[in-house]
Amino acid sequence: MAITGIEAWVELQIHAEEFKGAHLKDLFEQDAKRFEAFSFSYDKYLLDLSKQRINQQTLNNLIDLAHQQELPSWIERLFNADKVNDSEQRAALHMALRQPKGASLHHEGKEVVSDVQASLAKMQTLVEQIQNAQWRGYDGRPISSVVNIGVGGSSLGPLMVCDALEKYAPADMVALDVHFVSSMDGSELEKLLPKLDPATTLFIVASKTFTTVDTLANANTAREWLLAASKQPVELVNQHHFIAATASPSAAESWGVPISHQLLLWDWVGGRYSLWSVIGMPVALKVGMAQFRELLQGAHQMDEHFRQAPLGDNLPVLLGLMGIWNINFLGIHAHAILPYDGRLAQFPAYLEQLEMESNGKSVNRDGQRIAYRTCPVLWGQVGSNAQHAFYQLLHQGTEPVMCDFITPAVRYDGEGDELQKQHQLSLANCLAQSRLLALGDSSMTESDSGSKFKHYDGNQPSTTLMLDTLTPETLGGLIALYEHKVFVQSVIWEINPFDQWGVEQGKKVATSLLTQLGSSLGDGLDASTDGLLRHIQQQTRGAGQ
Amino acid sequence: MRVNVYGGGLSAWVAAACLAKVGNDVVIDEMAGQQQLALGELSVIGDEPGLLPLIKQQITAGRLVRRQRDVHIGTTIHWLALQPSEKLIAERVVGALSDSGVTGLLVINQCNFAVGATQELQVNLATTGDMVYVPDNLQEGMALQDFLQPKRIILGLDNDEALVKTRSLFRPFTVNLDALQLMSSREAEFTKFAITGMLAIRLGYINELANLADLLKVDISVVQEGMGSDPRVGPHYLSPGCGFGGQNFDAYVSTFSSILQQQRDGSLLKAAVDENEQQKELLFRKLWQHYHGDIQGKVVAIWGASFKPGTASIDNAPSLKIIDALVSQGVKVRVHDPEAVAKLQQYYLNEPLICYANSPLDAVIGADALLLVTEWPEYWSPDYAQLLGRMRHPLIIDGRNIFDKAMLQQYGFSYLGVGR
Repeated sequence: MAITGIEAWVELQIHAEEFKGAHLKDLFEQDAKRFEAFSFSYDKYLLDLSKQRINQQTLNNLIDLAHQQELPSWIERLFNADKVNDSEQRAALHMALRQPKGASLHHEGKEVVSDVQASLAKMQTLVEQIQNAQWRGYDGRPISSVVNIGVGGSSLGPLMVCDALEKYAPADMVALDVHFVSSMDGSELEKLLPKLDPATTLFIVASKTFTTVDTLANANTAREWLLAASKQPVELVNQHHFIAATASPSAAESWGVPISHQLLLWDWVGGRYSLWSVIGMPVALKVGMAQFRELLQGAHQMDEHFRQAPLGDNLPVLLGLMGIWNINFLGIHAHAILPYDGRLAQFPAYLEQLEMESNGKSVNRDGQRIAYRTCPVLWGQVGSNAQHAFYQLLHQGTEPVMCDFITPAVRYDGEGDELQKQHQLSLANCLAQSRLLALGDSSMTESDSGSKFKHYDGNQPSTTLMLDTLTPETLGGLIALYEHKVFVQSVIWEINPFDQWGVEQGKKVATSLLTQLGSSLGDGLDASTDGLLRHIQQQTRGAGQ
Repeated sequence: MRVNVYGGGLSAWVAAACLAKVGNDVVIDEMAGQQQLALGELSVIGDEPGLLPLIKQQITAGRLVRRQRDVHIGTTIHWLALQPSEKLIAERVVGALSDSGVTGLLVINQCNFAVGATQELQVNLATTGDMVYVPDNLQEGMALQDFLQPKRIILGLDNDEALVKTRSLFRPFTVNLDALQLMSSREAEFTKFAITGMLAIRLGYINELANLADLLKVDISVVQEGMGSDPRVGPHYLSPGCGFGGQNFDAYVSTFSSILQQQRDGSLLKAAVDENEQQKELLFRKLWQHYHGDIQGKVVAIWGASFKPGTASIDNAPSLKIIDALVSQGVKVRVHDPEAVAKLQQYYLNEPLICYANSPLDAVIGADALLLVTEWPEYWSPDYAQLLGRMRHPLIIDGRNIFDKAMLQQYGFSYLGVGR
């Protein structure tokens, strides 16, 4: 039966119809204990859903829906290494990457946790060698700069975490320069390379397949730069200036990275779930291996929570269901991610990939077109900066938008009064904005309202996700929380969150166009592409004269 | 006179022994709590030529006593010879002296804490006595001679009344004296740091020139002679090499460098200190470049591990950086040093890639390179034919430019010096 026909879905539709007129302002007025009823905590995380347009009935119906969609058994299938990525006939075992030493998980007759630990141990050896200033470049000096070349999951995760946890690098650790390069047009390398000393720069080429065009193009440019500066043979440059993080050792080897400098991941790690694997090496280099392991530990605890907690107390489940309610029953198709902590500046970009690449689908697991909405458009930036950018639309625009406010409760402990005041200021803004979005004019004193231009409708729903503090451990948990939220939604929607066929086709079209860029005009192109190609060729000839 | 010396380092032991030698009754308090080691186990003493016999002699004569309870109550002369990191201990000692009720104290401060530290201690001492700063001029390996027959003494005092007592304390050591300079304690402290920093910068500069000479195919030893003959430059501290080390020099320079660094970013001295750390790996880099980075499994002989000839000390020695780098690359290291082997064994414990040779020629058996790190006298003129015969690959990397390049090449060695 199509999901839209099942009982819980129909119930929710009826409930939504009845509930549509309700304003958050009234819901808060009617129930003084709304926060107690709709906020949920686990360990160091507090999930406040009381500014969502829900009542107890909504929550009950959503949990019924989860049960009818067999969410608990899907969770078990996920953790038991079933091939939940059915279109590619693979399991999705990113949770295995953060299993503690000594745990065990079998996949296709093989114990994977020990493989994972072996790969991490090899990474640790290389990390320590670099941090001890004993990894040598071509002239014998130790490496002092590391450039991660990767795109998508091979960049967004480590970049986001490095940015968030920089402060947690132990004081006695050598401060390495860690850079990220991803764009295929070479802009980042063009800017970065002149600032680096080739003799002391190491490149990590991070690509699961080792065929990603963007990444290989950047890696080739980096190698050309090293060869020109060092005047050394290519084998020597490959040997001393490149590490590969990949699931395709033979492809990496034929590009030139010796096996001894390769770090392994596996088919069953999706790119956007690969931060926990050797793809996370930049984190270990920048923040320390011990902190990287804390990140894994925090994620693992969230895994256990997701697997064991009843649906009604289960943070990823609740967060996922809240999205279902907003998207499928309240008709909200935009989702803003608003961290109130500059260290999480890259978090929205990270979630853009995690959510939209996972659940941006319109065909169910059986290959049938679906008749309901899935992943919304999702974007964001540091909330306090976004206040001066796009909040106008949230407050007075015509689009309904759901928001996630994310903030640590405590920051700058013992670091000076002015910094602590800044955190208070940030918290005050975080709370003020979600309050204003929810309540509209009624959150203001009389004198503030009046003019129509100054009118705030309110009733924009939001979630507030509060960490006790932002640490490697809680960041790990936060990321895992969203990973599982995405999985929960995919189960309700009956879609596969672990493939990305929509990304593959563009690569193929580009490959065929690349050959046509240099040659005489290609056949069979649409008029627009054909016209643009001709214009480029004209301009190129002009520039060459 | 009765003198109490405080400190467990080289300068404390040298001061205590020499003060006793000229007739003072000296008590040395090593500030080590209950853990008083036997004299023979104290490496600061054992590493310094002649120091252990002198101490034993003075103890036997009854003029030198290691601290026991209640010795020398009422001593009025106190001598602080603590490490740069032990300022808190100095404050405690001076505080206790001030509380003891004894007046007319003279406290000689020989510690290099900071510019102004002596004045700060004077505040702790209050009216019970005078602090005088007397910089030490000890060179490790020649410390006794430097103390007993100095060429110059600087007295940093802020109170003329302390001068008479101080002079009489130093009187036995003024036989060879060219200059006794009086200045304020702040000026004296500054002078001490300034001299050390100047030497470090000179060495840093000549090393930089040597590295450039390598690139430009110029022999730095010729340039060095030319520079040294100019009276404005002079010949001292102009030998390039693979970096300086040692407990004191390094600590003083680092202390002063961090003082300068607080005033402004990127001081000249800071650059010299950083460059020196890189210079310590110079011989490793030359080896690496010679073999194009392919050194795993190679055998490398090292001659000299102490931070300079004439001492067993390996504190901050270039050899450590070189050995660390070699071992990290899986190179087998064969080390010879006339005195420092025990120290190295202690430092590297059971590192399987390192072995210790009984003779210089034993060290080079099967070696793919010989690195001369410390210029002990016995290395200057080896049996070249035997050397050649024992090495697997006749490559000599001379970190102190002690060998004759042309002659080595005639024998068939590949030779790499520092800047030649």
